[in-house]
Amino acid sequence: MSAENTVALPKPSVWADVKPSGFLSYGLIWVFFIVFLIYPLIRLFYDSFTTETGILTIANFQDFFTDAFYLKTLINSLVLGVATVMTTSIIGIAIAFLLLRYDFPGRGLFSYLTIIPMIMPPLVGVMGFVFILGRAGTVNIILQDYFGFTQPINFMYGLHGVLLVETLHLFPLMTLSIVDAMGKISPSLDEAAESVGSRGVRKFWDITFPLTTPGYVSGALLVFIWTFADFATPLVVGISDLLASQAYLNIVQFVDRRLFKMGIVISAIMVILAILFLIIAKKYVSIKDYSSLSYSVIERRKLSPLAQLGAISFMGFILVLAFIPYLGLVLDSFGKGWALTPFPVKYTLQYFERVAFETPKFIINSLLFSGISVVICIAVGVPVAWVMSRTKLPGRGVLDSLTTLILALPGTGIGIAYMRAFRDPAPFMTTALIGMWIIIPIVLAVRRLPYTVRGTFASLLIVHRSFEEAAESVGATKPRTFKDVTLPLIWKGVLVGSLYSFILALQEASATLLLVIPGHEMMTVGIFNFYIGGSVNEAAALGVILIVLGAACLFIINRLAGSKMGGVFG
Amino acid sequence: MFKMFKAATINKEVEIMKRFAVVIALAVMGFFCWSGVGFSQAIESEFYLITPVSKDVHDPALKAFAAYVKKKYNVDLKTSAMPQGTPVAYGQIVEWKGKPQADVFWGGEGTLFDLLAEQGLLDKVRIPKAMWDEIPATIGKPIGLPLKDPKGFWVGTTLEPYGLIYQPKLLKRLGVELKDWEDLLNPKLKGQIAQCTPDRSSSSHASYEVILAMYGWEKGWDWLSRLAANTGIFTARSRDVPSVVSKGEFAVGMAVPSYMAFAEVLGGYDIMFVYPKNAYVTPEPMAVLKGAPHPKAAHAFIEFLLTEEGQRIFMERGLYPITAKYKVQGAPGSAAEKAVQFTAGIRSFYDIQVGNVYDPKVAGDKKRNSDVNAYFRKEIAEKHKDLIKGK
Repeated sequence: MSAENTVALPKPSVWADVKPSGFLSYGLIWVFFIVFLIYPLIRLFYDSFTTETGILTIANFQDFFTDAFYLKTLINSLVLGVATVMTTSIIGIAIAFLLLRYDFPGRGLFSYLTIIPMIMPPLVGVMGFVFILGRAGTVNIILQDYFGFTQPINFMYGLHGVLLVETLHLFPLMTLSIVDAMGKISPSLDEAAESVGSRGVRKFWDITFPLTTPGYVSGALLVFIWTFADFATPLVVGISDLLASQAYLNIVQFVDRRLFKMGIVISAIMVILAILFLIIAKKYVSIKDYSSLSYSVIERRKLSPLAQLGAISFMGFILVLAFIPYLGLVLDSFGKGWALTPFPVKYTLQYFERVAFETPKFIINSLLFSGISVVICIAVGVPVAWVMSRTKLPGRGVLDSLTTLILALPGTGIGIAYMRAFRDPAPFMTTALIGMWIIIPIVLAVRRLPYTVRGTFASLLIVHRSFEEAAESVGATKPRTFKDVTLPLIWKGVLVGSLYSFILALQEASATLLLVIPGHEMMTVGIFNFYIGGSVNEAAALGVILIVLGAACLFIINRLAGSKMGGVFG
Repeated sequence: MFKMFKAATINKEVEIMKRFAVVIALAVMGFFCWSGVGFSQAIESEFYLITPVSKDVHDPALKAFAAYVKKKYNVDLKTSAMPQGTPVAYGQIVEWKGKPQADVFWGGEGTLFDLLAEQGLLDKVRIPKAMWDEIPATIGKPIGLPLKDPKGFWVGTTLEPYGLIYQPKLLKRLGVELKDWEDLLNPKLKGQIAQCTPDRSSSSHASYEVILAMYGWEKGWDWLSRLAANTGIFTARSRDVPSVVSKGEFAVGMAVPSYMAFAEVLGGYDIMFVYPKNAYVTPEPMAVLKGAPHPKAAHAFIEFLLTEEGQRIFMERGLYPITAKYKVQGAPGSAAEKAVQFTAGIRSFYDIQVGNVYDPKVAGDKKRNSDVNAYFRKEIAEKHKDLIKGK
């Protein structure tokens, strides 16, 4: 502590009104970041730059960059990521525009429905697509049985299948980011542009585009990283030459130490790339860039009947596609022995009975761990947001960068970093942290922390400082002010951010799959276990439950946040 | 050293410490319970298995064993299985260094069990002599596959062929018949075959060795390349192969353990099994780990599985009895009869000609193992797209 005091002394203004308790809390936040974010990453890099015996080397990276196969996986991953960003941009931006700028029947419903596809249970989400669009999926069977096709159309197996799944899963992220960014554009700017004769494309190019760029870039980054880190989707459609898939496949086999090392090296490369992308995008995605936060009321234009029809059928079409996995999953979770018919012939409840009543632990653990992780998110994230918006404490810029960095870190990388960092028992303990269930909520909390921080930060900026100053001027302490004045004003933002954290924690399946602890499996792990054990129907049933839980959360968010729902993704 | 430890100051760590205290308390309580009954008891009250044999079979086997222990010893047995792929399970046992957290290792290749025995990590199997003698030493010609260890460290439990599977409706539509290996190269099956990569599945690996033994190294790989040209998907796990074939996504599956495919039949899917010439048959070896926490239960488990009751569990799930004493038989419509239909009439592997060219001495070699995997990766996995196009 003395070291920090000497740092603090020359700048009394910053620390002047920081009480010892506040100082301690700030220290604890830093301890959390150091232990659960910085240390694992350093450990991952250390492992990837050393041999089994701990000698410093770059041979591991040489192995990677001289192997044609691994280079191809790197290129494939980059190409897939960029392609997904492009497809989600087209769909996401079009939908954002329609929802924000125009009025048409069913607009409210659409604005809720278009975020639903974000909920996609791992593995079985893709299976849902396969059940409908696979070689023996509903569509191909109908084409063959009724339209005389002799060969099934290959929608799914290959990189294009992965692209299809990722696009329909991730476009809502893009929509939310754009909606949020455009919501912050003052209509007066629009009017000003129009008054000087700037309309249509010209106005878009001069006004709308530059102002929405920050939102767009962060949305694009999220989409890119998500695709980049997903290893389960490609494996289902028989693609293994992607970075994340290779990292996973090499790590889960413990036998060949060379391959195992390669898994670590690939994870390190993924993290390095993520950091690189972040640096490139940094200009746009920093939390501090919430410059104007008065969400402006946008006047929506009424569309002509023909244009209305166009808007509705466009969104309807995208939604039909995006809801394909849900249809497939529901059919498979009730259908028995469904094969080579458009729809199941026999129906049963046995799969739901098995996952909900015989082995309810998956659901219980999921709710429990996601719940705990949200509590951690709030305990750490709300103070972080508060420090960033209300104080000038040193290190808050770094906190901002770290929080943003988490968004860019691939889950596979974090999972493997944790595996390496916490495999030996810490002092005072006999069991290593990776053997304890608490590691799961912790890793979930770390991964979802940015959503809570952003939600809170955005709300804090809207609460005017003068409210708090008024309270303080009549003698309220800082914590008291926070509790009585600030909190009642920002709870919505905190809740929305936390619910997002919760939904995303529920369906997190990259880090948690690697860190699974026997007896403490979550739903996503259950889905994985059922799936690899050959019980696809049970996996589908768990998937359906996950979708219903997620949709309910999104409904609440939608009610609470309205058009501001994009705030956490800004 | 304590000063270095920053983590202890966080709230979360306090939770961990609390939890840790609970664990200690439970462990102490558990120790008292255990030591109270440990001495005089004929059998322990817990039993742990590490096995690549999937849940489809190990689950019912453990349940039946618990019931048997209850009946015979009036002990409530708590069982648990660690499902691990064969190589991972092997690595784990070596890693335990004689202090295993499991009692019995079940399944995989006999050669791995020999390696474990050499390292002194196995106990000799203790079962009645008559039971041991009933099991033939080997099966198959010209090379006999060992069904038990002459030194007594492991014993086979059931016979399990790695064969071909197909979706009857789809195959009929394609106008293809599947009887033996050669049928897999039928051009009509282009894109219709599903297989797991040999570096991720021991059943696939063993089947690749069978092909290499039948045709020789050069011609064998040529054959396997042509197979790859017909292959629509290389799955990441062997269990995925019957899943995608039963769904009708692909018409034919290669190198599938019979019980994995039969589990799909029991689940209501339509799928058939072919036992091709010289296909690998595993005895699913079983051994007690040296230093096992529950040795009495471990030996009792082996003995139980070799009784008629134990063998029935296998026979109802697409596996075959390890001795000539039993045949797969049951009432019409029973699971056992379904299994016979599923394999087109096989009731016992002692009724039919079992060919075997797989030589454990060749294929069991560690270097050979990685050579096959490396060759596969370079010449087949990386060139799969070119192979499909016909180069």
